[in-house]
Amino acid sequence: MNDLPHLGEIFDRLKRGSHLGPDDEPLYSALTADPDTYVRYFAPLGLQLVRHEREFFYFEPENPENVPDTMPRIAVFSYIFVDHAANQGRPIEEFIFGQNFLLTALPHFTLDRYTALLRQVDVHDVKGLETVLRHMERIGWVKWLGPDEFRFLRPFHRVFSKCIELAQAATIPTPVPSDPPTTTS
Amino acid sequence: MKVNAQAFFNFSAAHVPLLRQLAERTGELSAGEVMRLVREQADAHEELPETTWRRLREYQILVPSEPGGEFYLLAEPVARLLTYLHNNANPATPEMIRGYVQSLDTLAKQLASALESENVMVVGLAFNEISLTLRRIHADLDETHQAILAEVGRYKTERQRVSVREKFRRIVYWMERYVEPMIEIVRADGPLRETFDEVDRLLRGAREQALFNDHPALERNLRFLRLVGAHALRVFVQCRKEIQPLYESLRRSTFIAEGASRALEKLQSEGLANWGTAPLIGICSLRFQNVPGDAAIAMALRRVIEHPPEPPPVLDLTSEETTPDELVRRLWLDQLPYHVRPELPLSDLLDWIVKRHPEKDTSVILAGFTALVFHNEFEARFSDAKPNEYATANGAINARPVQLKSP
Repeated sequence: MNDLPHLGEIFDRLKRGSHLGPDDEPLYSALTADPDTYVRYFAPLGLQLVRHEREFFYFEPENPENVPDTMPRIAVFSYIFVDHAANQGRPIEEFIFGQNFLLTALPHFTLDRYTALLRQVDVHDVKGLETVLRHMERIGWVKWLGPDEFRFLRPFHRVFSKCIELAQAATIPTPVPSDPPTTTS
Repeated sequence: MKVNAQAFFNFSAAHVPLLRQLAERTGELSAGEVMRLVREQADAHEELPETTWRRLREYQILVPSEPGGEFYLLAEPVARLLTYLHNNANPATPEMIRGYVQSLDTLAKQLASALESENVMVVGLAFNEISLTLRRIHADLDETHQAILAEVGRYKTERQRVSVREKFRRIVYWMERYVEPMIEIVRADGPLRETFDEVDRLLRGAREQALFNDHPALERNLRFLRLVGAHALRVFVQCRKEIQPLYESLRRSTFIAEGASRALEKLQSEGLANWGTAPLIGICSLRFQNVPGDAAIAMALRRVIEHPPEPPPVLDLTSEETTPDELVRRLWLDQLPYHVRPELPLSDLLDWIVKRHPEKDTSVILAGFTALVFHNEFEARFSDAKPNEYATANGAINARPVQLKSP
């Protein structure tokens, strides 16, 4: 089992909270070729490899209550972006994944409400947004295409899954297209 | 009032843009609004705006919304004609289709009654009306289908900034207002099918009883009945197929937007401290603790490898010939209380020790003295008597006498 391709590199990336999607070759191909074997390999180590229904991989956090300090910033950044996308007249996922974005043209400081929300997580300017995006790059949610330009990667679907979870928790549970992620087994 | 068809169409041909604008306006129009539209199109012809306004009413293109009222509506027959000419489709409502079904039901009852009483005239009238109703149903279904396709097309191509929530509400409206109720009406075991089957049975009955002699027309009606039934179901299943993906996509987007909005509202109202972990996305973060690094492991291995070999220690298990001094001293101290007890009370403890053990050196004498003074079974008392000199094996001790007694 130790002969699994790219095992060391895959473990190294996943253990640091990164997500592996189609932009992470050759690791992604290795995982998709034989996901169950990787799941079995990591399970005795107490690591749950999750294959999201949108086809990307990550380690389930051991303790969901124990989140890294950067996550509130990433969450606020992401929810503001989703809120903005909802007003653009296109399905949110199409809007977010269907184009590249410029750091200097982000909507995060266009409304006083957004600015106040960001202030709560100590993000005060575009430089702060860039720092958040750098964190998101490290966990495999965005990819920089230039000094100012980036695009969202497939693992950003985790934000959408969380949004649906929050919406369902607040209303009568009804099945929504695409359920939360399932573990490969 | 009868309208001159030639004059109506001549006027219409000269005012196509104006009629299109009037057709696009929904609801009532004031005289002022109509005049404004007329003036906007005034360049297209040499007619005075007042003349155009008068003819619009004269040809009954615009009719008052209420008798003597100041507001006008585009006359319904003109609106339908323009819809036809502009290839615009208006969806039929489920109530309209239900109305047709009820109308067919009534006609079927009349036909049944006429067949029973063999009333040829009523059979003929009912037959004609059934034909007309079927044609209307077919036309309305087609128009509804076109309207739904046009609406779906608009959603797909529309790039204006309408929120997903708004779009979702609109698509839900179409689903709930038109598609789903229509499917309920036209499905295989629905009221439309039931009525059609009854009409079919009665038409066949009319043929068998030879009460209606236009057999080709009868056959046409029977064929049309089957065609409309199948067409209705196909049209609305197709509509559902067109709308469903859009509906699902917008529904998902609406849920996503709602979740994000709720998370932000909570942050705004309760602050970061009370935001909790529910809105956060869990990320794996393995932290290794107390794990030696590569350098530490290499150093440990080097120490093992480079450690010089040495023989193992050998234990001497033979018994000693002489008793060790420390053991003798320990035994003497342990025995001392037993020896002093019969001698108590003593007026000078140190004198007693040195006389009894003159071979002991100073440190041993003082160790014995201390053991007896602090022994929990004896009571020592320092006196103010004149100091004495007590000789030991290796020196002398100068001290005042100490008394020792049992408590």
